[in-house]
Amino acid sequence: MNRQESEQLLQCRNLVAGYRIKSGFVHAVDDVSFDLERGGFLGIAGESGCGKSTLAFAIMRLLKDNATIENGSLFFNGTDLVGLREEEMKKIRWVDISMAFQSAMNALNPVLSIGEQLTDVIHAHGEVRQSEARDRAIEALKLVDIPRDRFNSYPHQLSGGMKQRVMIAMALILNPDLIIMDEPTTALDVVVQRTIIEKIQELRKSLGFSVIFITHDLSLLVEISDTLAIMYAGKIVEYGNSDELFNMPLHPYTIGLMNSFPSLTGKITRMGGIEGKPPDLLNPPEGCRFHPRCPHAMDICEKSCPALQKVDPRHSVACFLHKGAENL
Amino acid sequence: MSGDILVLEGVRKHFPVNSLRRHGKFVHAMDDISFSLRSGEVLAIVGESGSGKTTTANVISRIYRQTEGSVVFEGRELSGKMTRTEELKYHKRVQMIFQDPFGALNPTRTIGRIMERPFVIHRIAEDRKAVSEKVDSTLTQVGLEPPDQFKRKFPHELSGGQRQRVNIARAFAVEPDLILADEPTSMLDVSNRMSIMNMMLSLKESHGVSFIYITHDLAGARYMSDRIIVMYAGMIMEIGPAEEIITNSFHPYTKLLKSAAPAPETGLKRKPLITGGDIPSLIDPPNGCRFHPRCPFAKEVCSLEIPPMKKIGDDHYARCVL
Repeated sequence: MNRQESEQLLQCRNLVAGYRIKSGFVHAVDDVSFDLERGGFLGIAGESGCGKSTLAFAIMRLLKDNATIENGSLFFNGTDLVGLREEEMKKIRWVDISMAFQSAMNALNPVLSIGEQLTDVIHAHGEVRQSEARDRAIEALKLVDIPRDRFNSYPHQLSGGMKQRVMIAMALILNPDLIIMDEPTTALDVVVQRTIIEKIQELRKSLGFSVIFITHDLSLLVEISDTLAIMYAGKIVEYGNSDELFNMPLHPYTIGLMNSFPSLTGKITRMGGIEGKPPDLLNPPEGCRFHPRCPHAMDICEKSCPALQKVDPRHSVACFLHKGAENL
Repeated sequence: MSGDILVLEGVRKHFPVNSLRRHGKFVHAMDDISFSLRSGEVLAIVGESGSGKTTTANVISRIYRQTEGSVVFEGRELSGKMTRTEELKYHKRVQMIFQDPFGALNPTRTIGRIMERPFVIHRIAEDRKAVSEKVDSTLTQVGLEPPDQFKRKFPHELSGGQRQRVNIARAFAVEPDLILADEPTSMLDVSNRMSIMNMMLSLKESHGVSFIYITHDLAGARYMSDRIIVMYAGMIMEIGPAEEIITNSFHPYTKLLKSAAPAPETGLKRKPLITGGDIPSLIDPPNGCRFHPRCPFAKEVCSLEIPPMKKIGDDHYARCVL
């Protein structure tokens, strides 16, 4: 990696994406902006249905047929991915941006050995001799601690943790600049989850790729990511440096999420969580989308939607409770 | 011991393997499980998937019969056959909350119909009007208000959290003495988890029931329970008061679970895991201590014989030779 340290790898600006269904347009990703540095680790947290997976698929340009990117731009290494034609996108997808999918159980083809699946990836992106592809696949498996005698194993012969590691090997195999991980550890046990996280961090240090890590488990995310984005109902409601966000959460939703997982240390106190359920994105509520569940909702919250405002250089929040938001 | 509502003594559950290659072998899902549940207590069972925690709940609820050992509920042995009336009586006192709120409700029945069943089956209310009143009051108790609106709905019209509330309402409806909750929050959204956990705790207080809470989340177990059992590969590794298990964990496996749990406070300063590896096959479990292939402190004796339960402190026992 000889490119400059400070360079932004991915710049997402005012991205709007959603699903067109019979009864209207579902705003799954609504006006989302963020930056990702080269080698950075961005965590995106939110409940199910908040649009985090849609965002991931939008970056990969792998949205389903009924979904579209309506507006905004996605600058990756200086090119806007939104405007690219499919053939051009194919040259970037997996070569520069790859993805580890949510359920390793279903994302691997059950009738092909993992070796065949890995070499397929290499063959699909260039003319490579079979023996060389095989060597590279074994090399990639070695990175994630899977011995070479597993090369001819079928997915059902592997444990859940191993399948997830194969998924990561597959994402790594073409040496991309960015890997998007969509809940890669959700279905796994804590111990296995921990070993996979350690592996990702170790590889990131040695290979220098960036990660966008999507999960609903905020406790995990705070610990592993540099930058955090909290999503609610299609919008980023709080964005900033992980440490700062954890020590001083500002948005009532972030505070609610932080209170939603009990801790192993410290005194046991009765914790709150968040009452209610996320809104229907077909008809999102007027004003701030969180106001029906917000304990601090004010009159203005029902009328207008707060924009993401910087409270300090590394921390922004979209809430009327905080300085800078009221003079919109 | 008079304060114990449920006593398990040396319970084993082995499932036969139905395949030609491994014919005659067994899955050792539970081996030598002994513990007692005190009246009014919340006991958490913690372990990875495949550690036998769900099998334990299913044996207690008589979904499975144990292969060996005794399960005594309020002084009565449960292993033998029961008549239908006895079975019904037992299930009025012992209720279960399942992990999957989507699978546990009949999709073709309205919530009203689903909620009426326990009152009809256990003949708790005399007539239709009484049933309807009971349903209303239980739904209100779990925060599904107004009940009339929810009674008309079908399960698919509810969110995951609401469905789990219906399951909890149904379990508490017959005023049981013991509730077996099998990972009741693991399939729910984070923002719902806390409110479901708090609701179970307050219902437990108001109804005075005992609780077996099964989970893979050590921090959740600490929040919910008075005592914790740590299970691994079908055996109890450590048992003791919740706070004691967390702060003075003795067994290397408990320590492993503790170090693997997400802890935002420690951040990147955390030490790497002391051991990796996977849970062993329960068809041919390792000789000796089941944890020894992964244990960083394993000695020769660990692979030879199963260590006995050893007293560590007040009410605190561990199955380890260290």
